[in-house]
Amino acid sequence: MDLFQINNLIWMLPLICVFAFLSIGLFSKFLPSEGAIISIFSIGFAFILFIFVLIDFISGDLAAIHSSFTWIDLGEWTISWGLLIDRISIVMIGLITFVAFLVQIYSVGYMKGDSRFGWYFAVHSLFASAMMLLVLSDNLLLLYFAWELVGLGSYLLIGFWYEKTSAAEAAKKAFVTTRIGDVGLLIGIIILFKATGTFHISSIIHAAQEGGISNEVIFWSSFLIFLGAMGKSAQFPLHVWLPDAMEGPTPVSALIHAATMVAAGIYLVGRMFPLFELGPGILVIISIVGIVTFILAGAIALVMTDIKRVLAYSTISHLGLMMLSLGSFGVPAAFFHLVLHGFSKALLFLGAGSVMHGMHDQTEVELMGGLRKKMPITSLTFLVGSLSLAGIVPLSGFFSKDEILISIWEYNSWFLPITLFGVFLSSLYMIRLYCLIFLSTARSEYAEKAHESPRTMTYPLIILSILALFSGLLAFPFPFTGWEGFAAFIDDHHKFHMIPWLTVVSILVAFSGAFLGWVIYGSRRIVINNISSPLKFLYRLVFRKFLFDEIYSWIANKIVFTFSRWITIFDRVIVNDTGIDGVGNSTKKSADILKYFQSGYLYNYSLVMVVGLFLMAIAWWLVE
Amino acid sequence: MTNNFSLLIPEFLVTGLAFLILSLDLFISEKRKNHLVWVGVIGLFGILIITLLIFSNGILYQGLLVFDDYTNLFRIFFLIAGIIVLISSNEFVKSNIKYQGEFYGILIFTILAAMLLASSSELLTAYISLELLSFGLYVLVSFDRYNLKSNESGVKYVLLGAFSSALILYGISNIYGVLGTTRFDEISLMLVSINDLNPFLILGFIFLFAGLAFKLSAVPFHMWAPDVYEGSPLPITAWLSVGSKVATIALVLRLFCESLLEIGNEWQLIIIVLSVATMLIGNLGALVQTNIKRLLAFSSVGHMGYILMGISALISINEDGSISTGMTTLVLNGIIFYVIAYAITNFAAFTSVIAVYNHTAKDSISDFAGLSKRAPFLSLVLVCSMFSLAGLPVFAGFTSKFYLFNAVASQDLLWLVGIGIVTSLISLYYYLMIARQMYIEEGIDLSSINISLSIKLVLGVLLVGMIVGGIFPSPLMDLIELASEALIS
Repeated sequence: MDLFQINNLIWMLPLICVFAFLSIGLFSKFLPSEGAIISIFSIGFAFILFIFVLIDFISGDLAAIHSSFTWIDLGEWTISWGLLIDRISIVMIGLITFVAFLVQIYSVGYMKGDSRFGWYFAVHSLFASAMMLLVLSDNLLLLYFAWELVGLGSYLLIGFWYEKTSAAEAAKKAFVTTRIGDVGLLIGIIILFKATGTFHISSIIHAAQEGGISNEVIFWSSFLIFLGAMGKSAQFPLHVWLPDAMEGPTPVSALIHAATMVAAGIYLVGRMFPLFELGPGILVIISIVGIVTFILAGAIALVMTDIKRVLAYSTISHLGLMMLSLGSFGVPAAFFHLVLHGFSKALLFLGAGSVMHGMHDQTEVELMGGLRKKMPITSLTFLVGSLSLAGIVPLSGFFSKDEILISIWEYNSWFLPITLFGVFLSSLYMIRLYCLIFLSTARSEYAEKAHESPRTMTYPLIILSILALFSGLLAFPFPFTGWEGFAAFIDDHHKFHMIPWLTVVSILVAFSGAFLGWVIYGSRRIVINNISSPLKFLYRLVFRKFLFDEIYSWIANKIVFTFSRWITIFDRVIVNDTGIDGVGNSTKKSADILKYFQSGYLYNYSLVMVVGLFLMAIAWWLVE
Repeated sequence: MTNNFSLLIPEFLVTGLAFLILSLDLFISEKRKNHLVWVGVIGLFGILIITLLIFSNGILYQGLLVFDDYTNLFRIFFLIAGIIVLISSNEFVKSNIKYQGEFYGILIFTILAAMLLASSSELLTAYISLELLSFGLYVLVSFDRYNLKSNESGVKYVLLGAFSSALILYGISNIYGVLGTTRFDEISLMLVSINDLNPFLILGFIFLFAGLAFKLSAVPFHMWAPDVYEGSPLPITAWLSVGSKVATIALVLRLFCESLLEIGNEWQLIIIVLSVATMLIGNLGALVQTNIKRLLAFSSVGHMGYILMGISALISINEDGSISTGMTTLVLNGIIFYVIAYAITNFAAFTSVIAVYNHTAKDSISDFAGLSKRAPFLSLVLVCSMFSLAGLPVFAGFTSKFYLFNAVASQDLLWLVGIGIVTSLISLYYYLMIARQMYIEEGIDLSSINISLSIKLVLGVLLVGMIVGGIFPSPLMDLIELASEALIS
């Protein structure tokens, strides 16, 4: 075995970050800058490794790179673990390593002076390695393990300032809500294992395509796996944890709750897509969940006044758009949007962090305004991110959104009008957010004293905004280079094409949303109260986020807890006192009795030996 | 037939090393005796390299000693184990033992005995090697001369050990009387050729098994173990729980695989009964212990139960009463893997306990309260070794247990595996109790514990071993498969 072959080197991707996690976790006190430097170096190394792997992958005609090792060989069956680089995992690795690298550099400035500075970077490394393991894993068991590990990383980072009650509560909420999806995922994986006898994704898909799995099994397993994806990717109605997750440090929101972890659900559906395709009706469910998420979250984003919450709902909304794209056979379009949205949204969150840094951690947009002059770099880069997400031509978000619209038109044309309305909403709320923060005049003392952030924070912003500006060009085929457009890179069958009238419509919709936003919030020609007062009921419903939190806490308090109280009585009296404690106590009692035999006297010991000898002899004669 | 003595080079060298240390002890000044341990470590390391270089197979003395891949695996194992014991006993011996040279010299003789046990393929040779091991251990157990407990445990060990030696010798004489041979391969041939087993032959095997069960501390021949473990100097407790156990297992595996597979239907039930009793009593007994050495003694009794379970599953009996050996290699792989994982883990546990004892001179479980704050790295290794002993994932203890239990289950002994799993669950309680003391309880003494670099190094290597053995065991498994094929063919 040649250890330095490229397919074995891909193990280094997750391992280097595990190494960083362990060394910082154990020795952060003894390391320079509490180990932050190790974390940044290892993720940077992973990014460089990614480039090497990418070159190898492309020069190998996009053939999958696979590396697996036998864990144990049990004669009849062998358990092996493996990593797989293919067209979608390489895209994900690129996004993860690159954004994580920038976010970690940014964090040096943002987290300066925090009492758990080293631990912050340790968990970042843990998260990065778990995330890479998740997208590289070639089997569902390892994927599930990484899936939970990613959840753990998210939990630790949301509750990073656990002294704050709201942060601890938010971490708990995220953990519990995603857990509902995770249970579904686990059951789905087990059903597939029962049906095929393997955890390997390629074998499962192969078996399904050969007709080795019944339609019913495919439907239920895909549905349950999709439930897992809904939890992680914050789809309605499991979206409630993501806005609260903004309690974590802002760079965490940029990395985990915008660019990478929440995309894991999209990735999972994309990875298992050949299976989903075969399940009757499953794509329709995905499309409906996607479009409902897209519209409702977009509407909520329009009325939120907390900078991070607007971005959070915007993230939910765009994840819904990606799901909708997957449901419309637009796997390449969904991944394209995933990457471009990842860049833009990371940029916006980091920009929001920069604003908060200058504003003494204020997040309320009502207190901001007029920051354009005081924070020029942040303002400019934030504008780029906003326009990109709003889908204004020619920024990157426009191109990926256009590809999604094409998929929807071709496979799910019924959804197109509603989707266009969602596009309108998303350009409206992005421009609203930009205008409220950066235009007009300062509305508070904080805003008047705001200042630009240090370079470790602004440089990542500049790099990301360059990407948000130009990465959309990847949609086009480049002549003479062999690049046939992003869609063809993901799937050979998807050739690059445009539908001119649809492009024109989408440009118009995005511009009209942006224009309306500028008119209301920028130039203030229309006064917002004139619109919102007739629609007061609707406004309040949206402002209270369609009452999801209230409904959930009512269900939890009235139904679940009542049920739990009854169960508790059963559990205390029967399960615990007679079952668990009974077994435990009798085990302990028998151990106590055994103690008397251990008398310490030699003649007792030898007597027991002789008795044992006789018993053995008797046993042998009994067998005869 | 000429004997190729080059096969014995490692053994000659170990003997020479032991004499070198004993004679150096006579000449060098009291102050310099602290360095004797490094003579031993470097010597063993050199011998290890030489053993790896001259890797060759063959037999000596008309088949009294066999050198094959199995022997070599265990030789390497004992040399490495010896190095670990020497390093981890260094500081303990400096402060607690008066005659350092003799301590190390005799310890190295027991390494020699363990190596010979792995290669002996004849009952009397095996007996002599076993006695060489035991005599060394008798002395070492009572080496802490001014400690009453050490003396007591020495006397107990010597008397009960003599009893078991008598059992073994009587068993061997019966076997020789009936079959006319003591060589493993010839015993196997004779057993196939005779149809009815002579009662004296059966008696002979029972006595032999009982004597070996004493060395393995299988129930009901285990009662010496807690007392002797508690009284011995700590490094010797470690060596008792690993070195002497693994050496005996090396012998037992060769005996069963080379000569007793054909009459598996006769002994399978007895070994099963022994294994169930050992698993249950070992793990239950550990529940009520308050002294870490006694707890680890009972825990090692429990682990011997799992190994006996593997030995009983070396064969499976078909419906028509015939014996099937189709899965023997798999089970044998499982046992050897389990033994090695157990050894690594137990060394990690004992090395950390010794390091704590060197600082506090206390060895009850409650003295570990708050250890995580006093010695973070030490606690990490100790808690990982507890997890590994309990068989929790990512550690070698889990993977080896998984492998062994699977192999036993494939021999139609699923119910026995069930008992194994239940007793593992019980064991989780007392292993986690130690973890709780270290991480949750508040300690009284808060002074931090300093560990020497050499101990840190050993602990680090063992920790890596535990994790690599759990996640990526295939290189080790390749060696183990070679060894077990050498035994089965």
